[in-house]
Amino acid sequence: MVTITPGGDGLHLRQAGIGRAFRAIVLIIVGAFFLIPILASARYSVLGVHNHLTLSAYRSLFADPSFRSSLWLSLQVAIATVILTGLLVIPTSIWVTVRIPKLRGLLDALSIVPLGVPSVVVVLGLLGAYHSILNVILTSPFILAPIYVMLALPYSYRTFDTAVRSLDVNTLVEAAQSLGASWTRTLIGVLLPNLRAGMIGALILAGAYALGEFVVASLLSFNTFPVYIVQIGLTAAAEAVAVSLVALLVAFVPLSLVTILGGGRSKTKQRSIGVTG
Amino acid sequence: MVSTLTRNREESSPSSPPRPRRRRALRRYGGVVPYLAFLLIFLLIPAFSVLIGAFESNDGKPTLSNLRVALSGPYLHSFVASFELSIGSTIIAVIVGFIAALAVAATRGRPRALVQSSSSVLANTGGVPLAFAFIATLGNFGIVTKILSSMGIHLYAHGFSLYSVIGLIIVYQYFLIPVMILVMLGPIQNIRSAWVEAARSLGASKVRFWWSVGLPILSPAILSGTVVIFADAFAAYATAEALTSGTLPLVPIQIGNLISGNVAAGQGNLGNALGLGMIVVVALAATVYVLSQRRASRWLR
Repeated sequence: MVTITPGGDGLHLRQAGIGRAFRAIVLIIVGAFFLIPILASARYSVLGVHNHLTLSAYRSLFADPSFRSSLWLSLQVAIATVILTGLLVIPTSIWVTVRIPKLRGLLDALSIVPLGVPSVVVVLGLLGAYHSILNVILTSPFILAPIYVMLALPYSYRTFDTAVRSLDVNTLVEAAQSLGASWTRTLIGVLLPNLRAGMIGALILAGAYALGEFVVASLLSFNTFPVYIVQIGLTAAAEAVAVSLVALLVAFVPLSLVTILGGGRSKTKQRSIGVTG
Repeated sequence: MVSTLTRNREESSPSSPPRPRRRRALRRYGGVVPYLAFLLIFLLIPAFSVLIGAFESNDGKPTLSNLRVALSGPYLHSFVASFELSIGSTIIAVIVGFIAALAVAATRGRPRALVQSSSSVLANTGGVPLAFAFIATLGNFGIVTKILSSMGIHLYAHGFSLYSVIGLIIVYQYFLIPVMILVMLGPIQNIRSAWVEAARSLGASKVRFWWSVGLPILSPAILSGTVVIFADAFAAYATAEALTSGTLPLVPIQIGNLISGNVAAGQGNLGNALGLGMIVVVALAATVYVLSQRRASRWLR
């Protein structure tokens, strides 16, 4: 396993003038900017506008059946997005590297094309292009999954493809095959373990995108979690703040866990994980 | 997919009989067909439909009137507001994100992985929850608003509003600064200690090092970060919609209103014209991004 960490622990950057005081001031100010809204939400959600301590916002939230149903829907769509992203991105990126290297640049360039079409315009186009078969396709919320896979491609494909590029895939494939490994075994036994970080990163980005996406779901009238938050926000501010806080934390906890688990193999190197931002 | 790969290997191995060249090429290119088909169905055909629709009247005749309406009156104003928002957000996010990335990269204990994963969460899921987190912070009854007013600073009496372009610029930093950090961390960590040492041994001061070596090396990455952030801010919809319930006239909000039918009927293709306007703006930004990426990768080899 080749892991290149240029710059090491940043000693030379410190020598180049990014001193302790500079780092401390920057990290405290930026960290505060990111923490204050979270703390303010936590306080607001239990004190509300009138300053009485109450958990009513959370209680009415968990009692609301559409809270659970929208969360469940978002999770299902996110899982479908992750699976579909894996099936599309991983084989394509490896295939193009091994079999048609000259197309690599083209596929990479194509993967960022979705950045050029804002998702509100994608919805506009989907509605315009497929209006005749719309009633058939757009009844199932799972139509969101392929749309999210496409919209998250600039993040997922590039993340995985960067990992593939940093690995000498062709040498590994030749080595594995000269030892008699089949393609399946080469892929599962040799390539994917070496590409684990890139794979996890790509899938996380796709899943996170699907969980937080609002535009497409809202305009196609599916009650995913973000759509639900905006709906209750119209009538109940404290509830919306409470559920937003839960959403931000729900997004954070598993992702931080994956980061820690992902670094599990090099545990000794990761003794100290500084908390910033 | 895997089984096709297996078959291909047998086919290309010396022991198997030679096949016609064209079929082999078909097999070879077959591996990228799902990817291309995906982009075609979910991106290119819809984008094409917007393009065509922008030049069509509602009864299907070619016309320029959609574009004329889209670039005049209230719709022109929405383009101006969108530009104000995205340019203002970009300037702040680029500067703050760059400085933050420098500080993170120089910190011992490799917080990079943690910052990177938090940044990718923040950059992607901020959307709706963010709007409410900031209502609790800087809204009319937000906690920071209250604390400041108890200190004698009455934000809302001085013309500040969270539900305005200025307010959105502040809120957008929450997901734009992480984008800049994500873009810059890698290139900053790629600065070799040899370059620092070389500059120092030639007598360069720290400021001189950053001015003459650091910034020029990082400039392609800074440019690509700027462009990505601009496109992100220009296209963002969720936070603005959740904060202002569609009342702030930004281009994506206007399109959303047209899709949801919150406007007078008979303007179906006006949305397509506005959409085309957005595509043109963001596509220009994306072109700059591709070009700057090409330059940036030169230093990574």
